[in-house]
Amino acid sequence: MDPIQVVELLLFPGLTFFVWLAFLFEWLERKTAARMQGRRGPVVTGPFGLLQPVADFFKLAAKEEIVPAEADTFVLTWGPALYFAAPAIGIAFIPVIGYQSVLYNPLDLLFMLFVLSFSTLMATLLGYAAAGRYSTIAIGRLVVQYTSYEVPLLIAMVTPAVLAGSLSIEGIVAAQGSVWYILLAPVAFAIFVIATLAELEKPPFDIPTASTEIVGGWMTEFSGNALAYIKLTKNLSYVFLSALAVSLFLGGAGGPVLTANADLQALAYTCYFLIKLFAVGFLIFAIRTALARVRIDQAARLFWTVMAPLSILQLALAVLIR
Amino acid sequence: MSEPEGKSKQSEAGAGLMQYSAEGMMPFGPVHPSLKEPEYFKLYLEGEKIVQVVPRIGYVHRGIERAAQERTWVKNIYLFERICGICSFHHSLSYTEGVEALAPFEIPRRAQYLRELVAEFERIHSHLLWLGLLGHWAGFDTLFMWIWKDREHILDLEEAISGNRVNKSYTTLGGVRNDLPDNLAEKSRTEVNYLEKRAEYYKSLVQSEETLSVRTKGRGRISQETARKLCPVGPLLRCTGIARDIRDEDPYAAYGDVPPQVQTENDGDIASLMTLRLNEVTDSCRMVKETLEKMPSGPFRVNFPRSVPAGESTFHVEAPRGELFYFVKSAGGSVPERVKVRTSTMANILTATEMLKGHTLADVPVVLTGMDPCFGCMDRVAVVDVDKSREWTIGGEELRRYGIEYYRRK
Repeated sequence: MDPIQVVELLLFPGLTFFVWLAFLFEWLERKTAARMQGRRGPVVTGPFGLLQPVADFFKLAAKEEIVPAEADTFVLTWGPALYFAAPAIGIAFIPVIGYQSVLYNPLDLLFMLFVLSFSTLMATLLGYAAAGRYSTIAIGRLVVQYTSYEVPLLIAMVTPAVLAGSLSIEGIVAAQGSVWYILLAPVAFAIFVIATLAELEKPPFDIPTASTEIVGGWMTEFSGNALAYIKLTKNLSYVFLSALAVSLFLGGAGGPVLTANADLQALAYTCYFLIKLFAVGFLIFAIRTALARVRIDQAARLFWTVMAPLSILQLALAVLIR
Repeated sequence: MSEPEGKSKQSEAGAGLMQYSAEGMMPFGPVHPSLKEPEYFKLYLEGEKIVQVVPRIGYVHRGIERAAQERTWVKNIYLFERICGICSFHHSLSYTEGVEALAPFEIPRRAQYLRELVAEFERIHSHLLWLGLLGHWAGFDTLFMWIWKDREHILDLEEAISGNRVNKSYTTLGGVRNDLPDNLAEKSRTEVNYLEKRAEYYKSLVQSEETLSVRTKGRGRISQETARKLCPVGPLLRCTGIARDIRDEDPYAAYGDVPPQVQTENDGDIASLMTLRLNEVTDSCRMVKETLEKMPSGPFRVNFPRSVPAGESTFHVEAPRGELFYFVKSAGGSVPERVKVRTSTMANILTATEMLKGHTLADVPVVLTGMDPCFGCMDRVAVVDVDKSREWTIGGEELRRYGIEYYRRK
């Protein structure tokens, strides 16, 4: 692997860049929710409270870790790292500074599906390993929720691939040069956003982490460093899924060519990407703030009876358009 | 109830519980994020479905009734107020009116109107608080934040009239502590008009917001027959269509002159409780304005003697949660001989367990909040010997001896 690629993977536009984006997303989520609810949100740490999520992360990481007696210590030790690895690898396949991503594979959309499933699998494993009553109930809900939203999410992700005739994210982004797929497949985009809320366990689908019912959901028994990384992973998944939405439906980093200078143009592409990313993020924040939590059976019914048929219909339409 | 009958019922219930393995029991409380006060509910689950609920009360028993026997009549007002932070004024109101019934004094009309004014303020704030909490437990934090922001308007009014936001200490024996401050009538009218508009808005919101109504429609439903059997009080009773309201049936303060329009709903579920409470907020807003309009001039307090003539009295008021009952017994001294309190949550707790049955774990916070619990108000201690099916209460001295014995044996 050549050294430039390693730098790209670890610093920009790879892990470090996305981790800072994850912190920024958490700040933006808290700030948006606060403003919509007539509060001020974080204001103390850093300008406009921008550094609050970072401070929270380090504070949590420095705290004592308590491991339940019945817990599986092996999974509890290595699980959070693997859980973190899922979105951390996924982001490397997102084109940020142009039409090329850091890692590339002609079938990387399938790998994205694997990453999403792996993330949920790790959550399940962590919840069971922690061996708490609340986590057990939460995992039951998580699995039910996962089995319901996965089919619509999968079909919604495949729709752009059908339109582009390519299973790589680079190919899908490149094919959106003339028209974004949000215009050709708006329903698929909507389903993707809704399923994203379910994947991220955000309202109205924060059923597996419903704090008012099952304390901290499957994260109840975690503390200290592990919890800090789990929370960071959740924020990273937030960015990852928003970035995926940008790549699949909003033309990725693509946009008008402003200059012949390659470096400056890369900067312009990054800006396009960030603008689209925050637009999608903001849409998710707004939905999340405006809705109440549904029950697990209602969520399952919604995904199976409404979302799944709609997504299949959209896929059929996409095939016809193509 | 004869003893064999009691026995058989008990063993029946026991047999029922035995069917659910220990694994199926989900402890809900005594410390749980959706319980602001410690209370313990054993939830027997089949999957996520609740098949049996066993409440166990007594975690925050504070011995207030005993403490009252050592305080003077006036000091007790401040003590009883602290039974509940949300309906604090109704506690002091019920107590003072109960004591006043023992002494031959005419309480000034103006004081009665002022009492009704503050009582209605409290009803508005309590109902808004409840709806906000319900939003919170249903995972709808935005509603919670909005409503609690609006509730501040009422708390500001309460502070302006009494000096305190929560434990208002406004009513006192023989009247109220101070007169209505200048300009407050005008300010109250503006704020109440604003709240009336907000209540209308929230009413349309809770009825049209899809995610909220799927969580509340048909949840925690009790039929009229169940309600008649289990005797809940307040909104829990009125939402089943039974129009009972102490303010209307047995007017106290100035409710004879400014009566409420008793609100009812027919569905008996959480959704109808929301509409009912918002309708009551609107009605309370109307009553506040009417009270301010009709308020007579004159003194707001008469001097009250330090010792109260011997006798017994009972008094009940319609607190925001329902009937609040006080029994006051005087032996003629400067302290009460006995004061007994029955709060509305005590009357509602069995109905709440009935409301929970058949629903899922996800409904527990919503349904429990739906009954508007105040466990701290309700808790009491009774010692039960299940084998001999005997029940008795322990006095302070006996409890002290038991404690010493217990630790000596340990």
